[in-house]
Amino acid sequence: METLTHTAAFLLEWNVILAALIGVTWGIMGGSLPGISPSITMALLLPFTYTLDPTSAIVLLASTYIGAEYGGSVPAILIRTPGTNAAAATVIDGYEMNRQGKAGLALGISLYSGVIGSLFGLAMLMTLSGPLAQVALAFTPMAYFALGILGLSVIATLSGENLVKGLIAAMLGLIIATIGSDPVTGGTRFTFGSAELLGGIEPVMIMVGLFAMSELLVQASRRGKDDRVTSRPRIQFPDWPLAKRLIPAQLIGNGIGTFEGVMPGAGGTIASFMSYNEARRWSRHPEEFGKGSPEGIAAPETANNTVAETALVPLLSFGIPGSNSTAILLGGFLIHGIVPGPMLFQKSGEVVYGLYAGLFTAAIGQLVIGMAMLPVCIWLVNRPRPYLNAFIFALILSGIYSIHNEAFDLGIMIAAGVAGFFMRMLRFPFLPTVLGLVLGYLVESNFRRSLVLSGDDLMIFVDDRISLALLVLAFLFIGGSIAKRGYELLRHRPSSTFSENAES
Amino acid sequence: MLTRDFVGGVASIAIGAVYLFFAYQLRSSALDDSMGPGGLPRLYGWLLVGLGAVLTIQALLASRLATADVSSEEKGEWDGQGRKVAFAAGLLAIGLGYIFVIETLGYLLSVAVLLLVTALYLGAGNKGRVVAVAVFGAIFLWVMFVIVLGVRMPSGLLASLGL
Repeated sequence: METLTHTAAFLLEWNVILAALIGVTWGIMGGSLPGISPSITMALLLPFTYTLDPTSAIVLLASTYIGAEYGGSVPAILIRTPGTNAAAATVIDGYEMNRQGKAGLALGISLYSGVIGSLFGLAMLMTLSGPLAQVALAFTPMAYFALGILGLSVIATLSGENLVKGLIAAMLGLIIATIGSDPVTGGTRFTFGSAELLGGIEPVMIMVGLFAMSELLVQASRRGKDDRVTSRPRIQFPDWPLAKRLIPAQLIGNGIGTFEGVMPGAGGTIASFMSYNEARRWSRHPEEFGKGSPEGIAAPETANNTVAETALVPLLSFGIPGSNSTAILLGGFLIHGIVPGPMLFQKSGEVVYGLYAGLFTAAIGQLVIGMAMLPVCIWLVNRPRPYLNAFIFALILSGIYSIHNEAFDLGIMIAAGVAGFFMRMLRFPFLPTVLGLVLGYLVESNFRRSLVLSGDDLMIFVDDRISLALLVLAFLFIGGSIAKRGYELLRHRPSSTFSENAES
Repeated sequence: MLTRDFVGGVASIAIGAVYLFFAYQLRSSALDDSMGPGGLPRLYGWLLVGLGAVLTIQALLASRLATADVSSEEKGEWDGQGRKVAFAAGLLAIGLGYIFVIETLGYLLSVAVLLLVTALYLGAGNKGRVVAVAVFGAIFLWVMFVIVLGVRMPSGLLASLGL
């Protein structure tokens, strides 16, 4: 109740409303462009958030995530090309409905299911985040170290086909995090006399480089013709009998979306496909799936929009980003000196309540903006790629330069982009690098502080009950993931590829 | 033999070795904690080298155990990659060029040149449209950053005009 009261106060704040609506609009546009994932769409905005107040900045980024999840379904339905990975399941029945002349209805179902998913996800986020953060109030340096290890253990599920590659990617992130001042003594490390490196490398440079710059480099290396949208559909919402028929599929999407969102590393793509499968299994018309079933759109679209909110639960409560998009959001928090996790609700409660209000505004606003933006999305999808990519390139370079007015930052971002390009080529996942980068400081500073407190006795991590519980949880997480890999290997089934999470 | 995993493993060993070299150069003082500023960096460096070695060995074993079909697939996995790297390097060169000219030319001019060169490089055909996109795109970005967001972008050559 208290949460609702605090949140309601922000519903009339113009900066929150404006940030939410701009975020959704930008997200829908970015999501509708094939190849531009929600995380890239968010990364492009990241440099702009420096000039905003913390609440507006976080609402802007989180609303972009929501908008991008719907935006991804537009090209999925119209040109059989998902704008985002999570929209891949929507292609199956969405494009079939388009071929049957029902593109407007397919888009309407996608939009309306997305709004339901967003609102349900928000309710779950508000219910779960606060109590979890309460537990975390009793955290000691040992517990914070164990929390960092728990965050890093997510790598086990994010490494796709090869765990070793995921661990190497994480090491790269941890190594970048050691550049700058030592967290305990304040001495300099790996700065090579550069004044710009004294404060370390800001995660925003690496994130924009890894996600956005590397995507541009990949697109520059591909020359080909893109599909164009030839129809001009208008969004049509389902009538009451059809809406009633969609309820079970949407409930399945809500349930699976909540579970997958709360579990770090699972992501919207897995949730979408699981929801699609379950909706088919429980449907009264399973024979229609694959041939233009409305439930085949409702279930995955509800699921991936639910994930867009519930994925914030581990981020807000423990500071653990479970996907690329939430890692970018974490970057947004860090830019404003706010550290998500145990103390967030105590120290920056207004940002959290503002975020809830912004997400509510974004979910409702999505309904109107989604309809209004459809012609813009079609126009964008039909733009020749060279112009679009040239503009995105200029936007990235301008945005990064504007942070400190330093050309040095551009060099760091471009270097991260080159690293990302080769990581893609060699099939290394990105997210472990980002996790290593953002959790490196937390792990090192608290590990060393704990050792100072205990006189170098490592047993202090076992004696502290919260630390022990978190370390056991991390161990179970890693053990479970390795066991699952072993099981899949024995059954000769390939593990899910990293790109599922890398692009979400 | 030269699979992606093999190259990735060798690259990891190389990066780890260079990082370790610098990690061992870090000085410690009497005021440091027992681990010191170099403690964890050295651990990370060794872990990176070790993981790189594991990946390299995995790759070598995999190529030895591979069937004929998989072997031929692996042979073709680098096809066309050189061209892709060359195309990407072109865009990279444009980006680096922008870094060198932004302070001298100023934001408005350099971003217009950036848009023009990038669009042409990426294959934009219509020359008139490219120029229009470069001019109006640069003005749009300048208005957004300098006027709306109040960012102080370099004026360069246009300083006399107050831009």
